[in-house]
Amino acid sequence: MSDPRRSTIQSVDRAARILKALASGPPRSGVSELAERLGLAKTTVHGLLRTLERQSLVEQDTETGKYRLGPEMLQLGNAFLDHHELRGRSLLWADTLANRVGEAVRVGVLHGRRVLIVHHVFRPDDSVQILEVGASVPWHVSALGKVHAAALPNDRRRTLLAGALPQLTGRTITDPHVLALGLEEIARAGFATEEQEAVIGEAEVAAPVFDHRGHPVGAIGVAGPAERVMPRGPSDAVVVAVLDTARRLSREMGAPRRHDARPHAPRPRAEAG
Amino acid sequence: MTTGVSTNQRVRGASAPFDVAFVARWLRGAAAQIASHRDFLTQLDAAIGDADHGVNLDRGFSAVGSVVDAADGLPPGELLVQAGSTLVLRVGGAAGPLYGTALREAGRSLGSRRTFGAAELADALDAALDGVISLGAAVEGDKTMVDAWVPAIRALRAAGSAPPAEALRAAAAAAEAGAAATTPMEARKGRASYLGPRSVGHQDPGATSTALLFLALERAAG
Repeated sequence: MSDPRRSTIQSVDRAARILKALASGPPRSGVSELAERLGLAKTTVHGLLRTLERQSLVEQDTETGKYRLGPEMLQLGNAFLDHHELRGRSLLWADTLANRVGEAVRVGVLHGRRVLIVHHVFRPDDSVQILEVGASVPWHVSALGKVHAAALPNDRRRTLLAGALPQLTGRTITDPHVLALGLEEIARAGFATEEQEAVIGEAEVAAPVFDHRGHPVGAIGVAGPAERVMPRGPSDAVVVAVLDTARRLSREMGAPRRHDARPHAPRPRAEAG
Repeated sequence: MTTGVSTNQRVRGASAPFDVAFVARWLRGAAAQIASHRDFLTQLDAAIGDADHGVNLDRGFSAVGSVVDAADGLPPGELLVQAGSTLVLRVGGAAGPLYGTALREAGRSLGSRRTFGAAELADALDAALDGVISLGAAVEGDKTMVDAWVPAIRALRAAGSAPPAEALRAAAAAAEAGAAATTPMEARKGRASYLGPRSVGHQDPGATSTALLFLALERAAG
């Protein structure tokens, strides 16, 4: 493989690193802070920031002189979501699924070692909920991530299993061998479950979505309180609804029939107690 | 054990000053604190969670009130176990399993004894914290309720043979300071961790409700 740094433009790379640093650090950063964090000269960082400011990608706080992300970033983020094919096609299906099961629905895609939530429909009740669109979750703690991973070729699965598997709750599965066996079972069943592995008290059931080439492009799932979504194993009604929705969504993405999620596939035996 | 001590406070401090009435005062006081801070907790949770912490906890602790009303004659440990089970059943989200487990583990640690002292109380709170940690796998600094529990128990232990009211005052102050210290932290556990750096600058609702429980504990002794 060729060196990825070759045939790229250094200043664009640096500008992108500045944007990512502003997105992941404190809400506002000064030139010297950024220069130190990125290992670049202050004058370089200053010039890059001025250029980005002209494009409204960053803005300078008039009082402190510190920089933060600019409003144009939101436009770019929204454009990403607007142009995201799976998200676009899932809007109606996700609404229907949420109404059918009375729980929240999330659509996610694997992005590196995390699942990026590209669509989120609130649980259809009057409770206050926060929008998780744009949030990302480690793949192995999410039913969306596990079911997407299970549909990937072996080499990509192995890469996912070989990396860091952070523990988010006492129930997070962090043993790669246990996860590997779990992925095989998920691949057979056609859906994945997650019970209190990401957030205590919450569970999710998800199925993969395939594109016209039969490749997995993401997953759709129902998320809610563990006692409703996973009462002694996954709720039958939820599993059937998720599989049905994923199958229709895959069809809409042009997936060949053999890649349908299988609504009548044998599912893992419910745990007793 | 109580001879030769000059004040009533010292007498109570030197023996086994806590009983089921103390636990009942604690749980009622906790319910009152949660109720009066319900909206505040919900606001904190709206910033980094799903805005149900105050409402859920209030519903659960209201239900604990009726358990306490029927507590006559129960050993204090049993009352805590029953209160914990009620929380698990009544409180959704993460708070129900966490606080429910905490109270049940504390209750189990006290066993069937009718009265207990400061050391047994600290052991019971340690058992509660162990329960929380085994569910959540959180450590100090993860921006969770553990950040209030750990300093509170540490302060209680450090108070040694001080009068219980004083020791619990130190514990409550440490819990409050611990909750306040979560503000600049980046969440590494729970739903708030999805937000990553955006969780910085908000006080953790779970650590805040834990501080309220320790405040209620202090008031129950005073």
